[in-house]
Amino acid sequence: MDLRQLVQKKLSSEEKCLKCIEAAKIIDDKRHLRIIAITEKRDEHAIFIFTTNRIPCLSSEDMKLETVLPVESQLRCHAETPRGDSSGKPSTEFLLGLKSPEVHILLEMPQHKSTQAFLAEIKRAQDLYSQNAAFGAVPSFDWLTKYRTRLGQSNPFAEDVFDPLKYMNLEDSNMKVSVSETDFQDRDSSSSTTWFTDSFERKTQMNGQGMSAAMGSSYGSRDSLDAHRDFDQTDSIETMQRQLGLGPGIELPLGAKPVSSREAVAKRILMDREDEFVDLTKVRVFCGTWNVNGKSPTQALNKWLVVDERAPDIYAIGFQELDLSKEAFVFSESAKEAEWQEAVKKFLHPKEKYRKVKSVRIVGILLIVFIREKLAKHVSFIDSDSVPTGIMGFMGNKGGVSVRFTLQSTSFCFINSHLAAHQEEFERRNQDYRDIMSKTRFKQFVPPLTIGEHEAVFWIGDLNYRISNISIEDVKTSIRDQKYKALLRSDQLFNQLGTTDIFRGFQEGDITFDPTYKFDTGTDVYDTSEKSRIPAWCDRILWQGVGIALLRYDSHPQLRISDHKPVSANFEVEVKVIDEKRYKKVYEDIMKKLDRIENEFLPQIKLDKTECHFKDVKFIEPQVETITIANVGQAYVEFEFINKLDDARYSKPWLTITPCKEVIKPGLSCDVQIEVYVDKSTVSSLNSSKDNLEDILVLHLHGGKDIFVTVSGNYLSSVFGSSLEALIQMHCPIRQVPTTQLVEIEQPGSLGHVDLTKTGGRLYMVPKELWRLIQHITNHGKDKADLFQIPGLQAEIQQIRDCLDTGEPEVLPGSVHSAAESLLLFLECLAEPVIPFSVFQQCLSASNNLLLSKQVLSQIPDYHKNTFHYLCEFLKEMLKYSEMNGLEIKFVATIFGEVLLRAPPSASKELGSQRARRHRAQEEEAKKAAFMYHFLSNDVLS
Amino acid sequence: MAREYDHLFKLLIIGDSGVGKSSLLLRFADNVFSGTYITTIGVDFKIRTVDVNGERVKLQIWDTAGQERFRTITSTYYRGTHGVVVVYDVTSGESFANVRRWLHEIDNNCDVVNRILVGNKNDDPDRKVVLTEDAQTFAQQMGIQLFETSAKENLNVEEMFLAITKQVLQTKKEQQKKAAEQPQNTISLTDRKHSRGKQKCCS
Repeated sequence: MDLRQLVQKKLSSEEKCLKCIEAAKIIDDKRHLRIIAITEKRDEHAIFIFTTNRIPCLSSEDMKLETVLPVESQLRCHAETPRGDSSGKPSTEFLLGLKSPEVHILLEMPQHKSTQAFLAEIKRAQDLYSQNAAFGAVPSFDWLTKYRTRLGQSNPFAEDVFDPLKYMNLEDSNMKVSVSETDFQDRDSSSSTTWFTDSFERKTQMNGQGMSAAMGSSYGSRDSLDAHRDFDQTDSIETMQRQLGLGPGIELPLGAKPVSSREAVAKRILMDREDEFVDLTKVRVFCGTWNVNGKSPTQALNKWLVVDERAPDIYAIGFQELDLSKEAFVFSESAKEAEWQEAVKKFLHPKEKYRKVKSVRIVGILLIVFIREKLAKHVSFIDSDSVPTGIMGFMGNKGGVSVRFTLQSTSFCFINSHLAAHQEEFERRNQDYRDIMSKTRFKQFVPPLTIGEHEAVFWIGDLNYRISNISIEDVKTSIRDQKYKALLRSDQLFNQLGTTDIFRGFQEGDITFDPTYKFDTGTDVYDTSEKSRIPAWCDRILWQGVGIALLRYDSHPQLRISDHKPVSANFEVEVKVIDEKRYKKVYEDIMKKLDRIENEFLPQIKLDKTECHFKDVKFIEPQVETITIANVGQAYVEFEFINKLDDARYSKPWLTITPCKEVIKPGLSCDVQIEVYVDKSTVSSLNSSKDNLEDILVLHLHGGKDIFVTVSGNYLSSVFGSSLEALIQMHCPIRQVPTTQLVEIEQPGSLGHVDLTKTGGRLYMVPKELWRLIQHITNHGKDKADLFQIPGLQAEIQQIRDCLDTGEPEVLPGSVHSAAESLLLFLECLAEPVIPFSVFQQCLSASNNLLLSKQVLSQIPDYHKNTFHYLCEFLKEMLKYSEMNGLEIKFVATIFGEVLLRAPPSASKELGSQRARRHRAQEEEAKKAAFMYHFLSNDVLS
Repeated sequence: MAREYDHLFKLLIIGDSGVGKSSLLLRFADNVFSGTYITTIGVDFKIRTVDVNGERVKLQIWDTAGQERFRTITSTYYRGTHGVVVVYDVTSGESFANVRRWLHEIDNNCDVVNRILVGNKNDDPDRKVVLTEDAQTFAQQMGIQLFETSAKENLNVEEMFLAITKQVLQTKKEQQKKAAEQPQNTISLTDRKHSRGKQKCCS
């Protein structure tokens, strides 16, 4: 069953799982498998994230819902392509960041079609949302409540997979649901100035979003931040890993790089350890808003702009209807702007000097931001944007302008907006708000920064919300009696705050001033025109962020130029100042910690031994040692015995490693068999001490270290693999010959300088071991059917070997077939074949001519010639009994031709096609047999 | 996305068996010290990221087996090394005498490489046999910077690794500068390789 069907089982019937994929959720620097599904109900989409306690996930019971994210304006997706690893290989993974006010999740997905399809589905859902929202159909997502509630109620400790970080998320959503509900119920009776969603949510939001913007500016670049909590700063790595749920049984994908998102992790930890290097200082912010109804500044503004003895550090002053002229509307030119800018400058607090940070205007909406001159050097990343929402949705008679900057390490954003007018049009105002909120982008940043990503946000302006469902007389009575609280219950903005998406997360101070609209110009009298508009608090100042204290919120009725009264709010805002020294220290500490984790994740293995000793190794008798390789690290380990230096093989030829390459899961181990086997190809070099049983193996861990495994052993010399030259000099069994003497007589040409008087005074005609073998076969094999065709037994051949090497027992053990095979093996193992390499080619050339063949033989050393003739005589003798033993001359010629005539090792590298090589081999075999045939069919000695 | 590092360098630690090569690495990379001696059988590496004048340098530090029998194999790991840390034990005259051989080993296996001489176990004056002056004289003769360290007491370890890192960084910058000045001069490396007929490293 595919994943989508499994997810579908978890949903109710009207809800549909559209796409579903597996992804690794990156928590700190570790990956945890998650199943991510995009689901839909009546054009509302949500992303569901499931944990699974079985890999692969086979049933819907295995899955538990971890997070639900509605696809709406606050959900942001951003993609990151992680760096390749240090080897420079491009990464095959794709990182998707999902950010909502509650959580920020980083998911790693394979760069695959299914991922593309999944992302396309999210994109489609987002587009659909913004389309619907644009038409005022804001999805309610009420169908998600049941899931969110379920998340909130679940007992985290009942879960199967221990993942403490997950529960932190659960707590978030749990808190959110319960707290905002009580907030909602208590709202009317609440005396608190906080109308909005609970402070917890706000805090989360600030941590998740606002901080990133600030950090982005102060810590270099602003890319995604890992979700979730940091490492415990004081804890050991073990504890960290335990906390991260990286126990046995939770598997990392093969070759996982634990810190591919290292930068993001570092930034996240920096943010969480901010306290250690950030000092808070307080700055005073003045926000002012005034709809000046197209009038000129004919009155002094100090009554509005200077309300406190202490001078503000920042001024953010917003005007609406600054210029009602056609020119301003059509050509974006405004004579009034200069007038007002001048007026404002003139009436800023006299005790301080100010510098303009930025001003921005569309038509009549102007925002000017000043900063105290002394602080100017700490301002960075200044940007502005404007969003028109007026006629036809894009004209600038309505809309919002904004300025953002970073002061020290805290990000500020000021928005001045003029929302849709008219008593009954509050839905339009809401839409204007949404448009400004969602469309404002500070494009200096990549990706562009949004309003919500700032730490301190101030929203001022003629928001145009009215007092409704109450008669004008009652309104005026309330105003006269200063019953503002009661009157606020009829305020369209107040009524929406905290219950809808309008100004979600924003706060406003207690209103203790008269409605600021609409006055007869030049008076303090509410509208006496025939329209007789109901007075309203059109002009407002709201804020969002932590560490912001409202000092004063007031209107300034003395200013009578316009039909609106200006409003001001004074704040004290905590600004973060980074202490470079302490910052560096923390940063270095984090780097060290990450390095340590990276080191921890290098492949770690333990070997039960790094040395293998093989005692008394004999020819054709294998010995095995086992090395246990245990994976004691965190990640999969792939080991391989690699070639060292310029070798063509991982070891010398007499050694075999099984397996020589394997992958081991963390916590498991692998037994590796190291086998020594001396066969005919290696025996002569060991016998002659050209080689010894010593080697160093290089056990390489992919992406990690190398371990050297030392192999050693002693080899017991054997007549198998000895040279004819040496054997005819041996008067006792080979095992009794001292090693030094063996080395000596094995030297080619040793016979030339041997002092016969010292060594017993004689040489054998042929090796005595050959004689013993042939005697034995002659005595017992004449009448044995299929001689040289039935294979011998390995054990018996080993016994024969021991008998020949030690001289005991007197009678050759085993069957005659084993003796026959031993004979062939003996001949094959001779370092120099009976027909020496030097005459090999000549023999082949002479193979069609007996005389020529004999001539060639006359060139070879006597002991080779003797051996050859001795063998031929033996074979001829055996052939006499062919009726009994089934030997046939051509067959004998072929098999002995192969062992007596061997191509020199240098000639073994043959060129040409496989077919040509095969052809040549067949030809060679035929020639060898033909050569032998002469000597088996003729009396060569005569 | 910000880069994880500005430079990636490979450092190699060599020296006689038992002089404390692994301890130096452990101290520098993981800030730990273990009193129990475990001989390194093979080559191991660890990473450490350091900041040199605002530039982030990622170090991959290779620790080699010091035993004589592995000499031939370990020499293959010199390839691609930017800096070599030659370690002796201040309580062992023999290990100091062998420094010459180790320096020779570097010459045989590397072309341009930064070196630093380190007298480790410098934490017990009573046991010290290689005098600082002697070591200093030798280091000057060879044109190498000398550091006396103690992995056990965490003395000078950080400083020593930072010093070799700075050297390597300096060399890299000089080479880059040279390359920028003489972009046409690209044949020298190949020439050298041919004439010496050996696999070289450390460009």
